[in-house]
Amino acid sequence: MQFQPLDPLLHSELRLAVMSLLISADEAEFPYIKEQTGATAGNLSVQIDKLSAAGYIEVEKTFKGKRPCTICRITDMGRHAFEAYVEALKSYLTVCKP
Amino acid sequence: MEENSNMTAERSLEIITEQIAQSRKTVSKDVGQSLCVSGLCTMGMAVVVTVINIIAGNNGFTPFGHWLWMVLPIIIWLFMRNIHKGDAHAPVNFVGALVGKTWWTFAVVGLSYFLLGNLFNFIMARLLSPQELIIVSIRIMPVIMLLMAMAVSITGHILKIHWLVWFGIIGGLAVGIGSSIGIVSSILGRLCPLSTVAAWHFIQPCPSVFLFALVGLTLPGWMLKKQK
Repeated sequence: MQFQPLDPLLHSELRLAVMSLLISADEAEFPYIKEQTGATAGNLSVQIDKLSAAGYIEVEKTFKGKRPCTICRITDMGRHAFEAYVEALKSYLTVCKP
Repeated sequence: MEENSNMTAERSLEIITEQIAQSRKTVSKDVGQSLCVSGLCTMGMAVVVTVINIIAGNNGFTPFGHWLWMVLPIIIWLFMRNIHKGDAHAPVNFVGALVGKTWWTFAVVGLSYFLLGNLFNFIMARLLSPQELIIVSIRIMPVIMLLMAMAVSITGHILKIHWLVWFGIIGGLAVGIGSSIGIVSSILGRLCPLSTVAAWHFIQPCPSVFLFALVGLTLPGWMLKKQK
C-alpha cells in the first residue's frame, strides 16, 4: 500500500489544532483559540499567519468596543485541505493497525 | 502546545479528536450558561411582576407590572455581557445558534404581540361598550404561553432532550387551553374567597412563566453546563 503525502502545513501540532478548532465552528476569536490550544500568543500568531498565507483561514481584525479583536475563519480551501489531510492520515492508520 | 512537525499519525488523530471534543464541550457549556442565565432572569422577573401586581391590585391599580416583561431582554443581555466580560468568547456552533434563534424569535413575537395586543385592547376599550369589548378584545397571555411552550419544545428537539419536547407540548396545551377557558379561576372561585380569584387574575400567567422558565430554560441549561 502507498502512503499518501501529508500536507506539511497541517502536519504540525499547533496548526492542526487550530484547523481542528475552526472546522467545528464557523469562526473563533484569537483569545479562544489561544485558550483552547494552550499556545503562547506569539507562537499562535505566527502559525495563524502561515495558515492565512496559504489561504486555509481568513483573519479579520476588528474591534470589540474599544478593544482590538482578531477573528479567524476557515476557508473552503482550508476545509478541503483538512479533509484531504484526514484521508491521507487514514492510509497510515490502516497500515499501522495490527 | 508547541510547533512540532515530527508527529505520528496517531498523534495527529489524537489532536484532531481532542480539539473537536474540547471545542464542543466549551460551546455546549456556553449555550448552557446562556440558557441558565435567561431562565433565572425570567424566573426572577416572574416573581417581581407577581409582587408588583399583587401590590397594585391591593391598591386599586391595574396589573401594570406586566409592562416589566418589555425590559427582560435588556436585563438578560446585560447579565450575559457582564458574565462574558474579559472572557475568551466561545464561538457559536450550529446547535447554539438554533437554540438562540428559537428564543430570540419567541422574544420578538411574544413582546410585539403583547405590545400590539395591549394597544388594540386600549383603543377598543375607548370605542366599545364593556359587553362588546369582551368579545372583541385580544387574549394575550394564552397565546404568549403557547408560543413559550413551542419554544421549549423546539429547544428539546434541538438539544435531543425528549422529556423537554413533551413537556413543551403537554404543558403548552394545558396552560394555553386552561387559561383560555379559565380552569384555575373557576376552581378557585368554588374553593376560595373572591379576593383570591381576583389576585389570581392579577398574577397570571406569572406562575406558568416561572415553571416554563425553570423547566424549559434553567434546567436544560444546567444539564448542558454539567455534562461531561
